[in-house]
Amino acid sequence: MRKHIAKFLCSTAVACAAIVSAQAFAQPDISGYWMISFGAVPPNRPATPFEQAMIDSLPPGTKLLADSGLVEFPPGEFGGLELTEASKAMVANYDMNVQVSLDSTCQPPSIIYSMQGPFPMEIFQGTEMIVIKMEYFDVVRIIFMNETEHPADWPHSVTGHSIGRWDGDTLVVETAFIEGSTMMNNGLDHSDDLKLTERFRLSPDGKQLVFTQEFEDPAVFAGRAARLIPLDRGEGHVYPYACDPSYGAAIENREGQ
Amino acid sequence: MSRSSTRSLRWLPALLLMLGTVPADAHHSAALFYNSAERITLTGEVARFNFRNPHAILELLVTDEDGNVVRWTCETSAPSALRRRGWTQDSVVAGERVTLEGLQASDGSKLMRITKITKADGTEVGVTGRLDD
Repeated sequence: MRKHIAKFLCSTAVACAAIVSAQAFAQPDISGYWMISFGAVPPNRPATPFEQAMIDSLPPGTKLLADSGLVEFPPGEFGGLELTEASKAMVANYDMNVQVSLDSTCQPPSIIYSMQGPFPMEIFQGTEMIVIKMEYFDVVRIIFMNETEHPADWPHSVTGHSIGRWDGDTLVVETAFIEGSTMMNNGLDHSDDLKLTERFRLSPDGKQLVFTQEFEDPAVFAGRAARLIPLDRGEGHVYPYACDPSYGAAIENREGQ
Repeated sequence: MSRSSTRSLRWLPALLLMLGTVPADAHHSAALFYNSAERITLTGEVARFNFRNPHAILELLVTDEDGNVVRWTCETSAPSALRRRGWTQDSVVAGERVTLEGLQASDGSKLMRITKITKADGTEVGVTGRLDD
């Protein structure tokens, strides 16, 4: 039926061009090499109109975190989130040496932290899946564009299970089954039950890919949090990360502890 | 021991601290591990340089005031990022004498986050002073 309608509309060159144009607009090509934008990121600076539109699309009451990109919250600062009692106990008992132990040196954090870190990523866009190859810890994300529900028995991992769809010019990605991991690199972890929604939009000039990372985790904090993450288009490919655990051994064996 | 304090902050960390945040260290938190309020300088002989992620490790042998040799464990930014600035495994060689600037671990151990490396001939290895890789 849709085919017949399109054929009818394409009976004039102008209408046909309009359909092609609309399709191109609906699914922009976000393939390529992307690097986090250096410098301050909203809310640490005023948002551009393009960024503000993405912030405005977040659900009312969402807390926009100020630790996106090149900055992190210091110990004891959690962006104004209202932590649960269990999370308060978690951060109070946090041992920072866990971060540099031999055991954890090559354990990648989940995408809640790694997607906004200062490393490049490369996106390969297909019709049935979109692949995000991150340089950080060689993490690879697959966004299934041909699935609409998460499997019931998917194993937890640092990438979780992601399903995507195009909403006009915006790629909307829902992810579940993300293994508990750091949220802010300062002692606050998210749980296995975190739910993540990301919205990716290409800037009008194609030079920036801006996305929001919106997440809920009632076991850890009340309400909903989000980050705005602008990426700049670059050239080339991501490098192999090839993590070397001997780093952890060197730190553990340092003198003067 | 060749060690001095400059108590200087460069503009980026200072700006970020004013914003209530600290520079990201990506792998582990610089805010948790290092004293960002004080920059120290070490001069010594390179015992080992391992240019591998998550952070390159440079072990530096420093002779203290009493003539004892102290081994400092010093780390850089992520090598994958440094490689884009021209670094390689051969940027620093075991046996050569270098001067390092950086931040000392908050726990007082002999651990340094390198922000600058200067070779004996005055050549600076390409560290930007950022703590964000």
